[in-house]
Amino acid sequence: MELFGLVLRSFLEVLLVGALLGAGLPALFALGVRVVAISEGRRSYRILAYSIFALVVVIVLLGIAVIVADGLGVTLGE
Amino acid sequence: MTSGFLLLLLVIVTALAFDFTNGFHDTANAMAASIATKALRPRTAVMLCASLNLIGAFLSVNVALTVTNAVIRIQNPDGSPRPELVSDGGTPLLTILLAGLVGGILWNIFTWMKGLPSSSSHALFGGLVGATIAGIGMTGVNWVGDGTKLDGVVGKVVVPSLISPVIAILVASLGTSLVLRITKGVARGFADAGFRWGQIGGASLISLSHGTNDAQKTMGVITLALIASGHWQTTDAIPTWVKIACAVAIASGTYIGGWRIIRTLGKGLVDISPAQGVAADTSSAAVILVSSHFGFALSTTHVATGSILGSGIGHPSAVVRWGVAGNMAVAWLTTLPAAAVTGAVTWYVANILGGGVGGLVIFAIMVAVAGLMYARAQQRPIGSHNVNEEWGAKPQPTGARV
Repeated sequence: MELFGLVLRSFLEVLLVGALLGAGLPALFALGVRVVAISEGRRSYRILAYSIFALVVVIVLLGIAVIVADGLGVTLGE
Repeated sequence: MTSGFLLLLLVIVTALAFDFTNGFHDTANAMAASIATKALRPRTAVMLCASLNLIGAFLSVNVALTVTNAVIRIQNPDGSPRPELVSDGGTPLLTILLAGLVGGILWNIFTWMKGLPSSSSHALFGGLVGATIAGIGMTGVNWVGDGTKLDGVVGKVVVPSLISPVIAILVASLGTSLVLRITKGVARGFADAGFRWGQIGGASLISLSHGTNDAQKTMGVITLALIASGHWQTTDAIPTWVKIACAVAIASGTYIGGWRIIRTLGKGLVDISPAQGVAADTSSAAVILVSSHFGFALSTTHVATGSILGSGIGHPSAVVRWGVAGNMAVAWLTTLPAAAVTGAVTWYVANILGGGVGGLVIFAIMVAVAGLMYARAQQRPIGSHNVNEEWGAKPQPTGARV
């Protein structure tokens, strides 16, 4: 049963964080696309859209930072 | 030249060849969706993927020298080889490594010929497990580890191959469904142009993490061989030339592009749109990064396939070709045992002939069998020119027919 517990824990960890980032990011990106589409040249909408895209880029850069840090042997927490 | 030194040379060449097959086998994981939705032209896609794999491979400074410990017991916990295996210039250990690599390569080329995405890591582990059972016996295999964490054949291979596709399917179908809802009513052409950019970002992340994770397995194997034969001493570092050779091998494999597999994954499974593509690629990148961060050893291939499948399930009108998915599932289930049987048989052949001669013979057999499979694949060549043809139109990968 110990194995089952370990499997369940890994499954839930990866599923929850994976869903947050893996489904959340494209959803955020889609929101940005939608705001651009309905902006009709209005400045406030464009600023909002670019802020959303900037946020997506920042999260992706964090992703790259995690890859690089893991490759360099840095571990966070645990 | 002593037979130990000859074996060492064969292990190095075979390990680099494995790294090369690892590259072309996995190009599809990162790039199949971007190629299918025309976010990237085929040649540009493999070029980008190869460059990022090369960079990724150099980023892996913290190379795991204990790579084989996940499934077999030929190394001590610190990564040094077991003393009983390094007699006679390391012959016992080198023979296991060589036979295991041959098993992994032959399975990789076989599945490539069939156009099926299967895990290169599992092929390598399978080959090593088979060669170890033949060479040392069942006690040489690490089945479940010590029970404190997911380890061994069960924890590092069997469990991940069962649950990682499920995670990827759930995440990608959720992502696809959200993306489609949020952009409902937005002009398709406009939205698709945006999604293609998103796809390129996701695909790049997958490529980079692939280079970091997969190239270091081969680096670990070669360094282990060097230590076993007395050509390298420390377990804290790897020789620079090993790092460069492995990075170049995986990147050049990636660059030639496993077009047969790219086609199956990008066109065969689901007819993928840019909205699905961005969801699938982000899902793959996120699941791979999150799991490697949590120390859960999943296979990039299973995640990428699961994500593309999920993007079909999350799209209300998409057609999922379950026959193709079924073929892939069969390939996943058979990867470990098939590579293991090949590794074991190869070890017996090498052992009967003994030392360097045995090594040369199994190497020659591997080259001949690989050549035959390559020739067979060339009867229906798939390349950048026809990778995106409609599924069902000729040519199509054999064995993955709908």
